[in-house]
Formats: sequence, structure tokens, C-alpha cells
Amino acid sequence: MTNQNISLVKVRNTLLVTMPADPDDVTVTTLQEEVLGAMEKYRPKGLVLDISGVETLDSFFARTITETSRMVTMMGGQTVIAGMRPSVAITATQLGLTMGGTFTALTVDRALDLLAHPHPRRRIR
Amino acid sequence: MSDLARGNIPIKSENDIVAARRVVRDLATQLCFGVTDVTRVITAASELARNVFLYVGAGVMWWSILDQCGEVGLELTFEDHGAGIPDVEQAMTPGYSTSRGLGLGLPGVKRLMDEMEIHTEVGKGTTVMVRKWLRK
Amino acid sequence: MAIRSKLSGTAALEDVEGVGSQAFLASIVECSDDAIYGKTLDGTILSWNRGAERIYGYSAGEMVGKPVSVLVPANKPDEVPAILERVKRGERVSHFETTRVRKDGEVIDLSLNVSPIRDASGQIIGASTTARDVTEQKKMREALTERAKEILDVSTPVLQVWEGVVVAPFIGTLDTQRAQQFMERLLDKIVQTNSAVALLDVTGVPAIDTRTAQHLIETITSVRLLGAQAILTGVRPAIAQTLAHLGINLADVVTRSSLAAGLRVALDILNLKIVTQEDQAKGAHSL
Repeated sequence: MTNQNISLVKVRNTLLVTMPADPDDVTVTTLQEEVLGAMEKYRPKGLVLDISGVETLDSFFARTITETSRMVTMMGGQTVIAGMRPSVAITATQLGLTMGGTFTALTVDRALDLLAHPHPRRRIR
Repeated sequence: MSDLARGNIPIKSENDIVAARRVVRDLATQLCFGVTDVTRVITAASELARNVFLYVGAGVMWWSILDQCGEVGLELTFEDHGAGIPDVEQAMTPGYSTSRGLGLGLPGVKRLMDEMEIHTEVGKGTTVMVRKWLRK
Repeated sequence: MAIRSKLSGTAALEDVEGVGSQAFLASIVECSDDAIYGKTLDGTILSWNRGAERIYGYSAGEMVGKPVSVLVPANKPDEVPAILERVKRGERVSHFETTRVRKDGEVIDLSLNVSPIRDASGQIIGASTTARDVTEQKKMREALTERAKEILDVSTPVLQVWEGVVVAPFIGTLDTQRAQQFMERLLDKIVQTNSAVALLDVTGVPAIDTRTAQHLIETITSVRLLGAQAILTGVRPAIAQTLAHLGINLADVVTRSSLAAGLRVALDILNLKIVTQEDQAKGAHSL
């Protein structure tokens, strides 16, 4: 049985959630519950979802991330998905998963920087 | 075309979706598919296994390793005895989704795999077969 | 049986001593570099030339009377029966590439031609096989393919042009496999260099068809999912027009007509600015 643990820590007024490699449906659902609980408890300015260890991202996982991101926004926060693997990015694109337009960052570091300096991604024309 | 090995796993619970992913990961890795192709195949299997579980509740995933004139491939077949898909063409149109907003995700799965065949009969059931060949 | 041929001016071929005889034909077979052997319809070897001795390593004495399956690798048990089936129907098997096992155990690549042998009444009584050793050819072919791939990889490098900026020249005529590899290389480079911006340069794309457009859109989308920004550079009016006609909406993709313009945007995103040394000096004075 592989590790199904979600790690959730609060750092710099931000929630940092780290997902395991191949979370089952229960674990994915737990993600949403834990995030909502923590949002309520700490009222952080944002959520960084670290998926650098994730090998497979199917539509159920993607939908849950999108829903969670929307909930975080409704509670006054901002979500950033960090560390998506190239193989996962390509597969998700080809499968048609969009993550609902949630912000993404190459690393957790970048994600934290993005949340610390909350100017929206400049629209360059 | 002959198959070198085959097997199956039942799909009856959410855990079976994970089991399907694990089996497919082992097979694809053993066949030396590249990292991205391994991910594609596992993800396609996850989608199709989930369809079986979500819409029918029970079914089976058959797998076999293919050898066609020296080309090696992985074939997965998802079979259920559910209500069937009334309009396959519509289901295959990108952007189409059922009333629940979830859809079958078939166009996306087709994009991930090399071949896909769907056999369905309303009231009898559905079989979705997908194949991925090892690229040299 | 005589060989007839027309030679202008000179003596006809059959006048040359020995030509036209069975011995002459037999020596053609014997002296051939290719393996030529005859077998019965159940696969028993009837004749074995010197080419066969050289290629397979078995002498004629060792092979005549033996089943041809002795030469077949263990993983192809159905191949010879399948070939003989076709020969029995009067068919010829041509340029069939396969592997066989030499006496010393080495596996070799061969190209086989198998034809039916008919008796005087036209009935098929056996099969004649010519086998050419193509091991070297195959190695060369594979080496060439590797070289071509290497050249392609070298000529479509993903380059880091500044800290945080990578540039990838987009080649429109890539087949699906190369297109997938291009995407993987680009994304891996972005991760490896921790880049914030990727410039996809389409200056070298002669024409955009549906497949290239799809590949382009997928590449841009994947880059964004990863967490970097994709900028499309080298977009000429013709390309923009084609993309529009294909229904591709580039509304939320940053595009520029030249690589230089794209680089300016990239630096802007990174909060960098290029100043001349003069300006810098002036700036220092005014502090």
C-alpha cells in the first residue's frame, strides 16, 4: 500500500498542501475537506498545492482541484498549483483538463513568491 | 497479431480504479514505455475504469501485451453490462458532456492512445478497447 | 534447357562452351553469395548451396535431409508453416525480412524470397528459398535513423538565452513522434532551468496545417500548466491568418512578430530592463 498521506502545513500565512504520488479517490476527497477546514481555522491568504510527487492526474483529481480552488477563492484566498511534472502537464493537456484556470507555478518557492506579491499576472498585449 | 500475455481485473469499487492504474503502470513500465506514455496509458485507464464504476457500477478491465510484426503494444478493454451509450458519435464530440456535467471523456482518452474502438448496445452494455504501441 | 539471348554482332551465348548446360546453371547457384536451398513441402531440406553454408554455418552434408526449422529462432514457431502454406497455394513470398540462427548460435537478419518448385506437369513439389544476409544493411539503416534523429534534435535545440528564459524553434513538419518529443524536451528544459518564460518561435514554420496548429496549442497549454509563460514569436501575417481560419483563438496567448520583440516581453515579465552603458553611467551621476 503506497503512502496516501496528505501533508498540510501553514507557512507564511499560506497553506502548503503536499499530495502523494498516486492518491486514491478517498485521499483526493480528503484534500478538499482538509483544505476547507484549514481555510476556516487559519484564514490564510492562499493555498499552495504541491503536486511535484504526483505521477497521475485524472479528471476526478483535476475536478477536485478546480472545485477546491474555487472554494478557496470564495473564502478570500488564492490557489497556486505547484510543481506539475512535464509528463503530467502534457497528459492533462491532451486529455483536455484545464484546472479551471488556476494559477500554476514551477516550484513551491515560486508559488509562495506569487502569493506574497499578489499582483495579478500582467496582461501583456 | 498475437498476444504474449493477458489478464483481467474486476472493476466493482473505487479501489479497483486504483488497482487498474497500478496494473497498467506495471505493464507499461515493464514494456519500457517512455515516462509520458506511461502517464498517458495510466490516465486513460483511470478514466475508462472510472466510467465503468460511475455509470454502471460493475465491469472488468482486460489487458493484453501485443506483438505485431515485432511491434510491441498494450491493449486494454473495459467491458460492462450496463445501459450502453445511446449516441456514441455525440459522446465522441469534443466538448460534449452528459447532464451531470461529467461526460465520458472519450475524446480526451482517444487523444492519449493510438487506437480506440467502442462497441455498445443500448440495454446490453459497452466495450471500450484502447491500444498504445511502443515507439522506437 | 538452353539459355537464349540476343547479343548484337557477337556470337550467340549458347555457342560458348558449357553455357546452356545444367552444370552451368548449377554453378550459378553454387557460386552465388546468397543462400539458395530447396526444400520439400513439409520443410525438409533437399539442396544447400555454398552461400547457405557461409551464411548459416552448416555444411550441405549437415543440412540435407534435416528440417529447415533447425534454423528458425524459438520465438517464431509458426513462420515456416505459414510460408509453406502460401507456397503450396502457388504464391511467392518476396523480400520477407526475418531472423534466423546460425550454427554458432548467432542470430542474423535475412531477406527471404521463397518460390514454388513445379514438376513437369506443373504440380508444386517443393519450395526454393533465396536468403540474403541483411544484417549489415539493417545496422546501417538503424544508424542512419539514429543520426537523423540526432541531427533533428541538435537542429531544434531548446536554448536558455537568459536566466529564466528559454527559446524553442518550432518546426512545423514534425511527425507525431517528434512533436511529442519536442514538447517533452521543452518542458524538461523549463523545469531544469527554472525558467519563467518560454519563447516558441515559429519563424521557421512554412505552413500551418491542422495538425501543426493542434501541436502548437498543446505545447502552449502544457507550458502554462507547468507554471511558465509561453510567448509565440515570429508570427507573420500569413500564419496569423491561417490560425484564425482554423478557428484557433489566440486571444490569451502573447504573440509577437519577431523573436527580438518576444525577448523584450520576456525581460519585462522578469522585471528586467536593458540599458546602454551610457545610460547607466548617466544614472550613476544623477544619484
